[in-house]
Amino acid sequence: MKRKIGLLLVLTLTMVTVLSACGGSGGNSDSGGKTKVRFASWDNAEDLDSQQELVDKFNVSQDEIEVTLEAYGDDYDTKISAGMGSGDAPDVMYMWNYPSYYEALEPLDSYIENEGAEYKDNFYEALWAYNQIDEDIYGIPVGFTTHALFYNKDIFAEAGVTEPTDDWTWDDLQAAAKTISEKIEGVTGFSYQLQADPYDFEMYLWSNNTAYVDEAGNVADNLNSAESVEAFSVFQNIQKEGAAITTEGGGTDEFRSGKTAMYIYGAWSVSTLDGDGVNYGIVDIPAFADSGREAVSILSSSGLAMSKDSKNKEAAWEFIKYWTGEEMNKERIGYELSALKSVVESEGVMEDEKSAPFYSMLEQSTGYTPASFLVDDWGSLADDLELALERINNPTTLEDPQTVLDEVAGAH
Amino acid sequence: MKTSRKSKVIIYILLTVVAVYFLAPFVYMFFTAFKKEAEAIAYPPSLLPENWSWQNFADAWNAQPFAVYFKNSVLVTVGTTLGQVLSCSLVAYGFARFQFRGKNILFMILLATMMIPWDVTMIPQYMVFKSFNWINTLKPLIIPAWFGSAYYIFLMRQFLMGIPKDYEEAARIDGANAFQIYWKIFMPIMRPQLILIAVLNVITVWNDYLGPLIFLQDRSKYTLALGLASFKGVHSTQIIPLLCITVIMIIPPVIIFIVAQKYIVEGTSGSIK
Amino acid sequence: MKRRKELKKASPYIFISPWIIGFIVFTAGPLILSLIMSFYDWPVTSEATFTGLGNYVKMFTEDAQFWKSLKLTLKYAAIFVPLNLGIALFLAMLITQPVRGVKIYRTIFYIPAVISSVATAIIWGWILNGDYGVLNYLLSLIGIEGPNWLVDPAWALMAIVLTSAFGVGTMMLIFYTDIKNIPIDLYEAASLDGANSVKQFFSITLPIITPTILFNVITSIINAFQQLTLVMLLTGGGPLKSTYFYGMYTYDNAFKHHKLGYASANAWVMFVIILILTAFIFRSSSAWVFYEAEVKGQKTGKRRKNK
Repeated sequence: MKRKIGLLLVLTLTMVTVLSACGGSGGNSDSGGKTKVRFASWDNAEDLDSQQELVDKFNVSQDEIEVTLEAYGDDYDTKISAGMGSGDAPDVMYMWNYPSYYEALEPLDSYIENEGAEYKDNFYEALWAYNQIDEDIYGIPVGFTTHALFYNKDIFAEAGVTEPTDDWTWDDLQAAAKTISEKIEGVTGFSYQLQADPYDFEMYLWSNNTAYVDEAGNVADNLNSAESVEAFSVFQNIQKEGAAITTEGGGTDEFRSGKTAMYIYGAWSVSTLDGDGVNYGIVDIPAFADSGREAVSILSSSGLAMSKDSKNKEAAWEFIKYWTGEEMNKERIGYELSALKSVVESEGVMEDEKSAPFYSMLEQSTGYTPASFLVDDWGSLADDLELALERINNPTTLEDPQTVLDEVAGAH
Repeated sequence: MKTSRKSKVIIYILLTVVAVYFLAPFVYMFFTAFKKEAEAIAYPPSLLPENWSWQNFADAWNAQPFAVYFKNSVLVTVGTTLGQVLSCSLVAYGFARFQFRGKNILFMILLATMMIPWDVTMIPQYMVFKSFNWINTLKPLIIPAWFGSAYYIFLMRQFLMGIPKDYEEAARIDGANAFQIYWKIFMPIMRPQLILIAVLNVITVWNDYLGPLIFLQDRSKYTLALGLASFKGVHSTQIIPLLCITVIMIIPPVIIFIVAQKYIVEGTSGSIK
Repeated sequence: MKRRKELKKASPYIFISPWIIGFIVFTAGPLILSLIMSFYDWPVTSEATFTGLGNYVKMFTEDAQFWKSLKLTLKYAAIFVPLNLGIALFLAMLITQPVRGVKIYRTIFYIPAVISSVATAIIWGWILNGDYGVLNYLLSLIGIEGPNWLVDPAWALMAIVLTSAFGVGTMMLIFYTDIKNIPIDLYEAASLDGANSVKQFFSITLPIITPTILFNVITSIINAFQQLTLVMLLTGGGPLKSTYFYGMYTYDNAFKHHKLGYASANAWVMFVIILILTAFIFRSSSAWVFYEAEVKGQKTGKRRKNK
């Protein structure tokens, strides 16, 4: 028996040694002296091609750094988490969920300072708040979008309803949606997301002079304040009138196919809608009549971050500068809004009727910090909020917002 | 077994009903792959495409380096199938045809390895493979298959235990050692089951994208399944290319199955002497 | 001669050595590591802190979702396992019938198992759409108003069961291989004795395939308890967490909330549950599973005397 165990042990040891040895250079050793930088993207295949071209351009333009583009698509979070957990995260990554990930990211303040004040000022100020935790900046803004109201001009014309304007209130929207739904068979006036992201939804609370939490992070009396309840209710009410449907995704598909007349979304769908030839317009999000203010939008800003464990930080920074620089911003117009003032000016983005509303929403939205940055346990609060939104908006449940929100506030 | 005409009719009806259930989604998928995107998401959904857009397939194939992905998928599939068939039959034979100390405990451990969900051992496994320098190669996807997988070992063991003891006894009288008995007598008998394992492995590995997702980085190493998953981005899904590639991906495993069918049923004429 | 004897005693170990080596190198390490992780609080992005049994205590006493997901998963397994087993067996029998064209049907039944899960989820999402899905359209033809499958919490679980039955091809194939390889003479002998096909099924087919039944029972239990990809792609655990299976709960804990230690604890608890269930089934298997290899001597000469 002992001999057999001994034999087995020797065999195993041999195998392990052989296996490690034949691992050899694996996939990531330096080849020919160039510093390798790994860059992870979450885009789908369609955009990857153009991204690959841009990466190639960078590689060709200089001799010291070679960047490889890694495409993770929808499973981005899984892959990044796995990478961070095993100390093998990509050097450069797209990032937007800073509260969850910042501990594995490299603070970039010193790099930014080295570039001089002009560098930092060229970015819209509002964006920095979304890419930093406390006082440290963890990502360079790549692009951003605010949200605005999309509407289908053809449907409005057919129903004989006046088109939305920047001065609309939610009452106006509800009335229009109702008319359209009643007049045209097979079309609903408005759509909104069933499983809305609580992070995004907070903008409606801001528009109504409240928020999920106060600066100290207290939920009670904020989340379940009367203004907050009103914000949650407004969607439910439109649905109850038969003037709105809930969508599984953002609502672009339904809007494209002419099933809905209005929806609120970011600039991501602009090129898709243009490609489809939909006759649409964009205006500000409606305001709450009693709030005494214009609507506020959340900033969906993505940034480029650097891994704390990166072995090639200088090289990574060079690439980050490139990817967030003017040239790149210009390439991405039509998909995302440029984060650089200089590009907005030089390309006349403000004059474009498809982009201007988003910048106008941007102006109305400075100075707000999402609760995710203020609350320690945002993960658990977000979960409950997600469920709360579902309970309120699911057509088969349609629970009373005040009750639901009181429950959530009570648990935090 | 003679079946009466009435039973035949019933059987055909049942077969057809089930076939419709199984085939319908695929047919829908197939037709939709030929549509233009706007038509695909239209409400209410149509069945047949207005125009048969063959270009969709060309576009989908060119959207990513699928030729490279195909090569990688084939490498992984063939590599693992060979490895599994050889190693699992070997190990299963050990568990099925011998009595030895610790057999039951080891077998329970074998089964137990199937019970841990992968997403939790994923990161530690990543670290192990990283220490071998195997990350971003196809090795983590292929080499473990040569050491057996609990699922197939278990299956083979069940099959092997269905063969009467006399076979070994007769061979041993003739002076054969254990390995010869395994290789010359049992493997031929088990050919249908070995082919079954090969087919099952092909299905699993061909479509597996979690393994490649975690262990690969370079797009040049991607497999078809991972390339397919890339059509789902964080903001939008490219439905048409996704469906086109799905349709293409189904073809090789189905061909393999049609060919393998013949061998899976080989044993019907009665057990080999 | 002594060496020969020793080698003979060593044979079984040599046969199973590939698995043992693979286990030690590829599996044992990660398994032990994940067990150790379960005793830590490990946010993926930063340092781990030791919490001993803290994760387990929290799971059982403070985490209501743990119990909800567990109960939900048990409920799902209780439906899924017998249903899929029954369907697989039924279909396997169906495709062993000697009717013309059965080969084509076999291939058709097999195809769903080969379609990637991503595409399957998308298509079923369309089919199950409450307003425009094909399923409800068909139901309306026979006068039933179909529920909003993926939006109504009361029906989402059934939608998952429906969709997961789609993957029954693998189990069916395993049964089919087993059944098809049963020697024909057994059936012929029984026919001669006057047994009809139903009796033949119960006295010949069923007993002989009990080893594969055992296999399919255990593997489908494991699959049911670990169900993740389908739910993730089709419903995301909703609506209102009505399909928030234990697998999704664990996954979210690991990759959404970045609590890898806690998720590991989740996984090990599930492991123990499955282990106990499986051990129990194995125990009982000696009563109903029939292994030819364990039969001493031969009953009838018919089987042996074959060409």
